[in-house]
Amino acid sequence: MAWERRERGGLYYTRSRKLDGRVVREYVGSGSVGELAAQTDALERLQCEEEAKAWKEERERMEALEAPIEELCEASEVFAQAALYAAGYHRHNRGEWRKRRGK
Amino acid sequence: MVSKKGERKAAVEGTKERGEMLEEFKGYLERAKKGDKEMLPALRETLDQMPQLARKLVDPAKQAEYSMIKNYAGDDLLVTETMPRTLNLMREELAGPNPSPLEELLVERVVATWFQVQYFESLYAQNIRNLTIPQSEYHQKRLDRAHKRHLSAVRTLAQVRKLLKPALAQINIADKQINTTG
Repeated sequence: MAWERRERGGLYYTRSRKLDGRVVREYVGSGSVGELAAQTDALERLQCEEEAKAWKEERERMEALEAPIEELCEASEVFAQAALYAAGYHRHNRGEWRKRRGK
Repeated sequence: MVSKKGERKAAVEGTKERGEMLEEFKGYLERAKKGDKEMLPALRETLDQMPQLARKLVDPAKQAEYSMIKNYAGDDLLVTETMPRTLNLMREELAGPNPSPLEELLVERVVATWFQVQYFESLYAQNIRNLTIPQSEYHQKRLDRAHKRHLSAVRTLAQVRKLLKPALAQINIADKQINTTG
């Protein structure tokens, strides 16, 4: 989004957007029409930025809640496997646990 | 009073310490998996320290659980009051009488992952109308991971119970139930 100076000296508000992978410039208008479009775009941009910020914070909050539980899961899985190995079991083809023979 | 910065620093250090401890233990386990019998004493020694190690892992998970309860309940004081009781009841029921430290840890994991599934489901249900497609996909993936974690937690607890606990045989003598190991 930008104001473009025309050859005759006036300012013209333009918007750039992607259409079928190409950047297309849309000429919106000059004077009060351009001003209004610029203000609307600025508000939309601000809203998008705020939404993105809120979503980022929400994700960070959820990740912070998930991390200690993931850690608990990983560690308890390791402890369970260790206890099974220590008791003489082994994992057959990464599947079921079997007791070693002769133990 | 400990500042927020101090709390964060302590949390980071705690995570680092737990991470190092876990990596060391994983090293023992990997060698034991390859049949290195010399690792068994170290493995057993670490397992003997289970209650202390478990506390280090469970405390941060409980803090996360507390935060989730606060978010889950919102302004509903009834849920705020009853949810911890429900979770404790679940813990008691799952642990049964005389649980080993490993069982306690696994029970803690089952309860934590169960509540996480409830929490993520409710969060998704509450926000579903306001989510964009990528946000919705993000929630779905998070929920799927939570489900997998919970199923895995239940499976491991059942496996450990089946293989490491001597089977209980129930005998009734003169109308009295006696449980004995068989």
